[in-house]
Parts: sequence; C-alpha cells; structure tokens
Amino acid sequence: MIDRLSNAFRYIKRSPLTVTGSSIVFLLILVSLLAPWIAPYPKDTGTSHIEEAFHSPRLKHPFGTDELGRDIFSRVIFGSRISLKVGVLAIGLALLIGMPLGVIAGYSGGAIDEVIMRVTDTFLSFPSLLLAMAISAILGPNLRNAMIAIAISWWPWYTRLLRSEAISVRERDFVTAAKAVGAPWGRILFKHVLPNSIVPIIVQASMDFGGVILTCAALSFLGLGAQPPTPEWGLMTSTGRTFFLTHWWIVTFPGIAIFISVFAFNLVGDGLREILDPKMRRARR
Amino acid sequence: MASYIVRRLALAIVVMIGVSILTFLLTRTIPSDPAARWVGPHARPEQVASARIKLGLDKPLYVQYYRYIRDFLHGDWGHSIRTHQPVLRELFSYLPASLELILFGMVIAFALGIPLGIISAVKNGNTIDHLSRVFSIAGVALPTFWLAMILQLVFFKELKLFPLAGRLDMMTSVISPIECVTGFYLIDSLVTCNFAAFGSALYHIVLPGITLAAFPLGLSARMTRATMLEILGEDYIRTARACGLREVKILAVYALRNAIGPVLTVGALTFAYSLVETFLIESVFAWPGLGYYASNAIMTVDYPAIMGVTLLVAFTYVLLNLIVDITLAFLDPRIRISYT
Amino acid sequence: MFEERSGAKLLRTASIFLLVVTLFGVLASTAPGQLQIGVYIYSAEVMIGWDPSDGFSDEIVVMNNVYERLLNYDPVMDEFEPVLATHYEKSADAKTWTFYLRKGVKFHTGGELDAEAVKFSIERTIERGQGAAFIWDPVDYIEVVDSYTVRFYLKYPAALDLVAAAAYAAYIFDPDSADHEWFIAGHEAGTGPYMFESYEGITRMLLTKFEGYWGGWEGKHFDKVLFNTIPESSTRRLMIESGDADFTNRLPVTEIEALRSKANVEIVEIASYQNLVAQFNTEKPPLDNKLVRKALAYTIPYDAIIEGVLKGYGRQARGVIPYGLWGYSERVKQYTLSLETARCLLDEAGYPNGGFKLLLTYVSGDAQERRVAELWKEQLAKLGIELEIRGMPWDPQWALARSPDPNARQDIFVMYWWPDYTHPQSFMLALFATEEEISFNLDYYSNPLYDSLIDRAMQLSATDREEAINVYAEAQNIVMEDMPGLAIYDMAYVRAKTVTLKGYVDNASYPHVVFWYNCYRE
Repeated sequence: MIDRLSNAFRYIKRSPLTVTGSSIVFLLILVSLLAPWIAPYPKDTGTSHIEEAFHSPRLKHPFGTDELGRDIFSRVIFGSRISLKVGVLAIGLALLIGMPLGVIAGYSGGAIDEVIMRVTDTFLSFPSLLLAMAISAILGPNLRNAMIAIAISWWPWYTRLLRSEAISVRERDFVTAAKAVGAPWGRILFKHVLPNSIVPIIVQASMDFGGVILTCAALSFLGLGAQPPTPEWGLMTSTGRTFFLTHWWIVTFPGIAIFISVFAFNLVGDGLREILDPKMRRARR
Repeated sequence: MASYIVRRLALAIVVMIGVSILTFLLTRTIPSDPAARWVGPHARPEQVASARIKLGLDKPLYVQYYRYIRDFLHGDWGHSIRTHQPVLRELFSYLPASLELILFGMVIAFALGIPLGIISAVKNGNTIDHLSRVFSIAGVALPTFWLAMILQLVFFKELKLFPLAGRLDMMTSVISPIECVTGFYLIDSLVTCNFAAFGSALYHIVLPGITLAAFPLGLSARMTRATMLEILGEDYIRTARACGLREVKILAVYALRNAIGPVLTVGALTFAYSLVETFLIESVFAWPGLGYYASNAIMTVDYPAIMGVTLLVAFTYVLLNLIVDITLAFLDPRIRISYT
Repeated sequence: MFEERSGAKLLRTASIFLLVVTLFGVLASTAPGQLQIGVYIYSAEVMIGWDPSDGFSDEIVVMNNVYERLLNYDPVMDEFEPVLATHYEKSADAKTWTFYLRKGVKFHTGGELDAEAVKFSIERTIERGQGAAFIWDPVDYIEVVDSYTVRFYLKYPAALDLVAAAAYAAYIFDPDSADHEWFIAGHEAGTGPYMFESYEGITRMLLTKFEGYWGGWEGKHFDKVLFNTIPESSTRRLMIESGDADFTNRLPVTEIEALRSKANVEIVEIASYQNLVAQFNTEKPPLDNKLVRKALAYTIPYDAIIEGVLKGYGRQARGVIPYGLWGYSERVKQYTLSLETARCLLDEAGYPNGGFKLLLTYVSGDAQERRVAELWKEQLAKLGIELEIRGMPWDPQWALARSPDPNARQDIFVMYWWPDYTHPQSFMLALFATEEEISFNLDYYSNPLYDSLIDRAMQLSATDREEAINVYAEAQNIVMEDMPGLAIYDMAYVRAKTVTLKGYVDNASYPHVVFWYNCYRE
C-alpha cells in the first residue's frame, strides 16, 4: 500500500499536468483555510453596502462589487470553503451509502446482490443532475439539502465499484483462507475487502470531486442549492445573471473559480487514475 | 445471442419499473397540494376537495400509481397542474427544439473531438497530447451555464456576431413562419425552401450549440484517445506496423473500425448528458425546449410535468443503454460471454 | 504532419461556416415590412390559461386583446368605459344591476353577442368555479330581459360594475363554442379586436386582426401582435433598445437605468396596485407576541429598500392598501426604521438581546424580494436576531405556510399581492381575515372586530364609498396595532417601450396589459 503510494508520488512528479492540478488544489485548500485573513472584506459574505453597488474591478475591489455592493473577490475566496465542504461531505455521504451496499452485494451474491444491483441500476438510469434537482426541490432548497441530493444521486457509482472489487477480492486466496478458518464475514469485509478497494475508491472519489462541485454550482444556479447571501459560486453566477450583460464581472469571476477548481480536481483525478490504475498504465506504455 | 438480448431486455424493463416507482414516490413527496394548485389560488375548500377526487388524489398511493401507469401506457401522461394541458402534448411541443440543439451540439463536438483524440493518441506523451488532454479535461470542467453567459458576452455583446437568445428572429417567425414538418427548424426551413428562416435558425443555434458541445467535445476526445491507445497497443496493429503498412492506413482501416463501439457508447452518453445539460442552458438562451419546460416544471412544482419529463429522460437513458449494449454485443462476441 | 493538416482544414471549415452563418443572418434580418406587427416581450409565460372562465394568470396580457368584458374600469378617472355594455344602471340598494348591450358585436367563431351569451358566459364561469370565479359571489341569478338587456340580481349589495370590469373571470364568449377541451386545445371564442393566429407552447402567441371587429379598422392599427416570453431581463432590455420589440412589461431598475439615456426608448412609470407583503406567524413564538411583531416592523430599513432595491421606483407602503387604489388612506399609521424603539419593545417583550432565530421565506428567483430580505437581515442582526432567508419555489413555500403544525411553518412570509379586481377587499380579506382553512392569511391572524369591519366596508362600497374608505382605514389601523403583518412597499410598474409606439395607456386595473387595438406605430 505505502509502496504503491510512494510510487504514485514519483509518477505525479513526472506528469506536469498532475503537478499543476495538485498545486491548484493545494492552493485552493490553503485559500479556504486562510479565507478570513486573505479576503480584504471578510464581512462581505453577509453585509451589503448599496452605495457601492456595481463597481467595476479596481484596486480596491479586484473582482468588482455586486448588486449589493459586496466585494466579489472576498466572496469568491469564501466560496472556496463552501465548494470544498460540499465536495467532501457529499462524496463522504455517497461513500457511506454506496460502499457498504456494494460490498454486501459483491460479497453475498445471489438474491441480495440482485436486489441491490437493480436498485442501483434504477438510480443510475436517472441523469444525476436531474435526480439531484428533484430531490433538492423536494427536501427544500438549501445548501445542506443540495449536498444530500448530490449524495443520493451519486452513491450508486460507489456501489458498483465496490461490488466488482468485492467480487474479485472474494475469490482471492487470503479471503478464502480467512473464511476457511471461520473468520466472521464482517471482519473479512473490514480487514480484507475494504483495504484492497481503497485505491480504486480514491481514484473514483478524486475524479468525482470536480463533478460534485460542478453539480452543486448547477443546483445553486437553478435556485435549488445554496440560498442568499451564501457566497456559493453557482449562486453568485445565478444572481449576477440579471446584470451580466451590463456588469460582466459579476458572473465572470465566480464562474472562473468554479472552472479552475473543477479543472484542478479533474486533473488530479485523471492523473491519479493513470498512476494507480495499472490497466491505464499499460496503455500508456 | 438471443438469450443475451432477452436478459438485457428483461433488465431494462425491471429498471424502467423501478424508475417509474421512484419518480412517482419522489413527486408525491413534494411538499405541495396539487389539488389546491389545480383550482387556483383563491379557490374554496370544497373546490379543492372536488379537484382532489378528480385528480384521484384521495386514493391510496398504490392505486394512484397503478392508475398513473395504466394511463401512461395508453398515452395519457396526465395534465399539467399549471396549464391544464396534457403533459404528453406539451412534451412533444418542446422536444424537437431540444433534440435539434443536442444533435447540433453533438455534430460540433464529434467533428472536433474525434480528430483531437486521434491526434493526442498518435502523439501519445508529447506536447500535443498534453494540450489536447488539457483541452478535453477543461471541456468537462466548464460550468455550461457560465460558458453560455460568457459566449453571450463575447459573441453577442462585444463582437455582435450572434444573437443573444431565442430560436428564431422574431420578425422572421412572423413574416416567414416555418412550416412544421419535423419540428427541427433547420430541416423544416430547408425542406420548405424558406431560406430566410433557415438563416435565422442557423444564426440562433450556433451559440447554444457551442455551449452544449463543450462537454461532449472533451469527452469524445478523451474516449477516442483512450480507445486509440488501447487499440494501437494491440498485437495486430503492431504486426501491421511491423509489416510496414502506412500509418494513416493503419489508423483508418484497423484502428478506427475497432473504435466504433466506444464511439457509440460516447455518443449515447453524450446524448443523455446533453439532454440534462439543456436544463441549465436553455433558460439562458431562452430556447423553448425540454430543459426550459423541465426547469419551469420543477420551479413551479408541477408534478405531472415533472413526472413526464423525468420518465421521458430516464427512459431515454435506459433505452440508449440497451441499444448500445446490444449493438456492442453484435460487434464483439466477448461481451456476451463476459456478461453471463 | 497529420495534426497540422487537419488543424488548417478545421480552421478553414470553421471560417467558411462562420461566413455562411453571418450571411444568412444578414439575409434574415432584412425582411419586408408592409404588415404592422406589434411585439410585446413578456417576462413570464404568456399562455398559462386558455379557458376564458378559468384564466387567473399572466395570459390576461393576451386575452384582453382577444376577449372583452361588459365594462372596463379606468382607475385614474374612476370611471367605467363601455365595452360590450353601452350603459348600465343599478338599483338604490345596489342589489339589482341592469346592463344594456352593444348591438352588432360578432364573435370570432361566427355567432353574435346577445344577452343569452352574457348570461351563459358569467354562469359558466361561476359554475366552473375556477380561478377568480369567486368575484361573482354576490350574484344570486341572472335574467335575460330582452336580446340586448341582461339583469343581475344580487344576494347582498356589491359593486357589480367593478366585478364586471375585473381583469379575470369577466370575459364574454360565444356559448356555441364554449367547451373546456376545445379551449385548452388552443382555441378562443371572443369578440375582441384580435384572434389567435399561431402559438408555440405557452411561450409565444401571434394574434391577427379580426376583420369583423365592432370597433372597425379605420385609422392606424397593428395588423398582428406577437407575444413572446423572454425571462431574461437583459435580453428584453436589448430587444427594446434595438427596436426588435415594442414593449416589455417590467425590468429591474439596473436595466431601466441603462435604458434611460437611449433616445429611441421611453420609460413609463406608474403606480401599481402591487405591494410587497410580509406576514408574521402569529401562532408561533416569539412572533405570537405582539410586541415582538411591532419591534420587527421598526427594523425594516424602508428608506434603504426604496433607494437601494427599488432605486426610487416605488414608495413605502402605508397600511395594507396600496397607494393609488381607492381605499388608501393617510390616516393609517406608518412605521419607520427605528432600532431604538425596536430594542425597547423587545426589552418589554422579554428579549432584551434578541437571541432568537427567524425563518423568512420568499419565492426563489425574485431578486427584489431577496435583496429586501438581505437588507432586513442586516438590521435584525444588530438586535441579536438571526434571520434565515429561504428562497423557495412558490408551491412549497405556500405548502410550508399551510403545514398543520404552526411551529413547523415559517416565521415571516414574504410575497407580492395585487387585487383580483379593483377593490381593496382583495387585500383586506385575503391577508388578515379569519380563515377556516388557511389560504392566504399566512399570518394566521383572527380578530372578529376586524372581520366585521371589513364586511361592513365591503357592503358600503356599493353605495357609499367615502364611508367604506373610513371603515377600511379603521380596519387597517387595527392591523398596524396588532401587527400580524404589513406591506413594505407599493411597487411602481416600470415599462419600457419604443418611442414610436403610440396610443399606449397604462391601466393598473389590468396589470401589464397592452390594449393593442388602441396602439399604433408612428
């Protein structure tokens, strides 16, 4: 395991794109942690100054101000916290639902497997955004419910992944051996199946991170996610939509923030997959 | 083969039933009173009560579901709460606009994405490969709703090249209205030799088309690249190379033929993805399509309309998957075996 | 080699494509213009309802050009204009109303207007009981006196002329064609100057002139009128600016400011009957305490809202009845922003440092409501009150307000209100009168004294309007004292139209309606 990870680091260093991606991600995390100190107007997440509305970008407000006179630069910085939080929590929740189901399906097989997989198929037949939209509308649109909605539309992927991993692990010698000596299946799951599935999960989750951020922004854009005055990037583009032709900066900067962070996570995910997934490596040779 | 198809069909039907149940439950848990909506905001309680009976909302859930499916199969998808129009008729009036846009976007995407993917596979590992990889990952990372606005800013406001929104110039729509044949403006106007309308329609579809192409462009490029790499690594290609066949011929004859399967998959995936993506961009471009209809339905909690759209989209998903799987099975016998 | 060649080819193809597209675009935009076509771009869907009895939504902007009523009401002059009725009279007790019909009026469907048609139309509307049909509640029965005379007998005194002139549920249509299925399949049976020509979904409607219109087609008129839904305000602004459209109904103030300087655009600003209402949940702590509710009324930054959000296109409301609608009275108490007073009231109520949380709901997507809420939130924060602002689609917002458990509901409900017909009762009854089943009294307020006052005012309005206004003022002051809710501001409607569009007169009784027959282009 450690061996594989240290191998991975060596590969990362060789791929400039992955390095770029990881640096942006690192920067993003740093910005979100230090947001209250970096942002020039940390209070502008909530406070408005109508008299300063619609200032174009200038030294005092590098990204300009919005329709309530709030500093967009500060709000974009604080937005990174929300996007990261959504990414972590939504994927975490999806993993929490998806992994056990997948392991159970793969490990037990038979009717249980069949039922779980048909439910999974059903969920996968919905475009994830559509499902998330519907669920968010039902639960009532706010950031927390948007995260739940994303998780609900996302878990089946992990179920599928874990199931196939569990099936392949199930056949391996050490698991058969553990079974033979009568180890309880819960223990087999946690000691053998899960650890062996960690790598593909990391790859999948890192690839999904960008997608989740994008979905959350899309939900907020549609009014089904974060609510004002939350400095969520998608919401900022949505509220700026009324004014964007006359005040371009209101939508442009939050959108760039979404794009850069999703892009960075996708680069990392892509890089990780090529590094950790041996099948891909062979193809690259 | 036959047994595979039967099994695959059965699976699709099970999933469709699952989808319909899930959709039904979702729309019924919406915190809303459809009967009150049906009669309008100032109705008296007894009107609401009678609407509840009329809409069958007084019956237990499973009866409501049974009735819904029964009517659904007979082509009655219920009536929109908001407009009181049959949902199926409304869907059909909005669908062609979206289909036209999606197909247009896909044409742009594949026309650019496939060559890009091939180039980056052939030049695996060098700068061009890296660039194309950046490009394709960027396409996936773009928030389309934002891209739509940026394109409007650049091409409409600054360059004044393309119109801001809509499907047709308003005056054109009045002076030389398009006769409806297929519902696709580009085709209908050409078939009826209505060139003014054709021009206007083409003019209007470019920006939303490009927006919609951003994701499939990246996707098709990446998929083409991956497939090409896999195939180029196969033994018979290496043999061909060793035999001194020209690179271009290898690409065209051997590699591409084997790439049909993945391309088909990407096509289906893209189509499905674009269908949902229209939810985000059609409102920006005031494009009167399915996405516009769907987001309105969700915003106004028009549950028969939501059901209709969701089922239509989800069934399209299932069907596309089915078609792709069966075609792939025809193309490649290994799938049939590995499936069972 | 491979990539270079294909790259160049790509570039070439792309540029040719661009050229062709631009060419076609130019071709398309130069079209002959013999026909006079009026274009109205509307912010919402134009064809929500198709049945003239049921329609209770934005379709009135189209329907008012296709269907007609007995009367139209001009609120500025406080006069009725004869439309299908040439004149009318009422009995002294305002319980019997006789309308004399115009002769020679034809329906688009071929029939001719007579008293039977009027009786049928109104009765059908009442029987269907949809939309705004409730405005006919006073009617006991309708009598056809002769072919061109129709008489309404009422259960109680009411201003039936105002009802007959209502924007909704008062259209007269051809009895021979009146079938719900036929209507909603996209047909009409009106007498108005224009008929349906073609439509697309519910977002586009093209009308064409009805040759047999009783008003005739002498002089300048539009031949066709196009209604198009365009939600994006910036798009609408640009279309007005470029002259692609003649008229649009409402624009946010930022767009209006951008249009101010354009010579070919005219901004029309008029007082509307629409106001923004905040209703407090009087059944749930802490707002079940009158002192807290009054404190809240002192925390609203009225001036900042008028200046910052409305940019002056509107005024602070006084009481509940909007400025300009009869019934508005200067004698009603008006609140101002005063955090000190609010603090004192909170002190007295036992919340010296605030310390509670309130949930405000509004219709998501409404930028003005959102900004009002955000400004209010800042003031409340200064008193230690946390305001959660939740934008919801209308339906869930309304459903939450009607949940069985008062504690599960919101604390503050924000919405726009406008009258069903030109009568203050629309505000007084719906928003604060005791309700058996919750409908729009989302403050859940119940006060028998208030109820009896507005009942009296309603009946008085048919015979003695001055006295009715006095009683309404008294009732409004009860509301201002008990503070179950209040109107924050009365909106001004701001329309943008091209300078060349003439003959347009705004009528607040028919919100957003353009009577295209009266308009022409210069």
